[in-house]
Amino acid sequence: MSILLTENTKAIIQGITGKVGSAQAKWMLEYGTKLVAGVTPGRKGQNVYGLPVYDDVLETVEKHGANATVIFAPAAYTKSAVFEALEAGIKLVIVVPEHVPVADAIEMREAAKAKGAYLLGPTTPGVISPGIGKLGIMPGNMFKQGRIGVISRSGTLSYEAAGYLNDAGMGESTVVGIGADPVIGMDLPDLLQLFDEDEGTDAVVIVGEIGGTAEEEAAPFIQKMKKPVVAYIAGRMSPPGKRMGHAGAIIQGGAGTAESKNEALTKVGAAVAFNLLDVPVLLKKAL
Amino acid sequence: MRLLEYQGKEVLKSLGIVVPDSRVANTPEEAYEAAQELGGKVMIKVQIPTGGRGKAGGVKAAATPEEAREFAAKLLGAVIKGYQVKQVLVEKQIKVQKELYMGITIDNRHGKRVFMFCEAGGMDIEQVVSKSPERLLKVERGAKENLPEYQIRSILRQRGFSNKTLVGLSKIASALFEAFLKYDLSTCEINPLCILEDGSLVAADAKVEIDDSALYRQKQFQNKGMDTPDELELRAKEIGVTYVKLDGEIGILASGAGLGMCCIDLLADEGLKPANFLETGGGITRELMADAIELVVSNKKVKAILISLYGGVNSLLEAAIGIKNAKESMEKQIPIVVKAIGNQDVEAWEILREAGIDIVETFHTERAVQLLKEKVS
Repeated sequence: MSILLTENTKAIIQGITGKVGSAQAKWMLEYGTKLVAGVTPGRKGQNVYGLPVYDDVLETVEKHGANATVIFAPAAYTKSAVFEALEAGIKLVIVVPEHVPVADAIEMREAAKAKGAYLLGPTTPGVISPGIGKLGIMPGNMFKQGRIGVISRSGTLSYEAAGYLNDAGMGESTVVGIGADPVIGMDLPDLLQLFDEDEGTDAVVIVGEIGGTAEEEAAPFIQKMKKPVVAYIAGRMSPPGKRMGHAGAIIQGGAGTAESKNEALTKVGAAVAFNLLDVPVLLKKAL
Repeated sequence: MRLLEYQGKEVLKSLGIVVPDSRVANTPEEAYEAAQELGGKVMIKVQIPTGGRGKAGGVKAAATPEEAREFAAKLLGAVIKGYQVKQVLVEKQIKVQKELYMGITIDNRHGKRVFMFCEAGGMDIEQVVSKSPERLLKVERGAKENLPEYQIRSILRQRGFSNKTLVGLSKIASALFEAFLKYDLSTCEINPLCILEDGSLVAADAKVEIDDSALYRQKQFQNKGMDTPDELELRAKEIGVTYVKLDGEIGILASGAGLGMCCIDLLADEGLKPANFLETGGGITRELMADAIELVVSNKKVKAILISLYGGVNSLLEAAIGIKNAKESMEKQIPIVVKAIGNQDVEAWEILREAGIDIVETFHTERAVQLLKEKVS
């Protein structure tokens, strides 16, 4: 079992004929992902690694029953790609592009919530359910099937976290990149709830980073969860007032520090790891 | 990107919001002339893209044009809050009866825009709000929602405003909100928004920030603001990477922001101090990698480099060639330790090994840090 990306997922790639889209399609197929088609307006009839290409998303829903999409569009066209997918009835939208205007992200977030769809990103590596498939850009060989759910703001650190879980013989049910932008499609509690209800998940790891208040605001939900939560916050030695790569990763006016996140999480019973290396140790204790 | 005050005020003026009469001066002489034109009594304000200018000595009240010249001479060329002052705004002094605060920002967590208002404006707004948060009025709006004047009127009426001031405030609020949407702003603040003796309203300051990711469709704001004063950070922008200068001596290059922050944490645990944060993002080419390394070592304090990469959307082959090329063109050889995992990692290791670069063949960043520690001690 897994969340978001399951055995029932039939995915498409929007922007499949682009350089990144086609290369990533290949990696996803090689990993065993159930991709059913691709979309690039004006390229209907083409074929990318055996996947039929269509002009619009709706046709992939009608012909192939598509219910998930990975978007590789230039930032300026990302919003319209997302709206096209949502209006075609797609329920899982993975927004990989970086540098999407925040105003567009606000609209996407609202539209996805109104449609009852799950939206990851912008600036997400995507989602991987080892053994089932991967929708996004993460290197598949970094993950192993198991029973730990992972939610990460950072792509690279989700790979790193999975590595430590694998070392400890644990493996992952699903690893979700929630997105590193200031405004993103889903909130931590949305995903925590899915993991809490998932029969294939025993515990959840949150890989956070400095900036914002997402971890602090998720604390009351964590308190109500049945399953244990272990968290790690990157950036405890980063200086305040400096934007550390991600638009959201900045300590401002004393808010968003690793200490404030760690304190809020510890208070509700989540175990907080000093380094990623400590995550499996804390998980074993909690289980 | 944050506009300079005078640029922000141009935006306000275009919305019909009244700002004090002013001129931009590049020299003390220009400041003198401007003060004369404006009636003698003026404020001299440094134009740098950051707050807290007043507390840092960057805002002075001049009683005469001569004094305006004197202050401008002192401020122009000075370094305030890390920025070299190139321009001052010479602004007519106004008789203020009351200072208010008005602003709009984005609540990232909830994906909403938030209109804010407080009766106590001025330099200490942050203290006032942290002491008594209820004094800050907040009105949330979702995507595409506006903030019409009538809504502001009924909200501010309950805060005791009436007649000319109430109508004026709601006009400003509504226009500001519309501009916030239209111009892809991420922050817009008028602090203080001044009530004059006749009840009219004047914006005495303007903090206007545009979402960097939206600059492509807000061309009127391109080349506004002021570049970061740090030369290395400027160079990083040209290359297309994110660089933040730090105080230590270990250069860091990571293919993700989270990984970069994690490298800093792990180095610190080993008593090593990072010289920088550098994130390549997902567009690594051999040129980008070589340029980025050259940038890192142009900080002469750097005595070793830690590189941590994942090959997802990035090509590790390109990265490896870039690292090799950078090493070959280095004036002085310093230890480089590379961790590179993901698509095509075996081929990338081969290239690095042949170039005599130390590699860690697993994902463990802490092992790369350990190896680096051995190399530098």
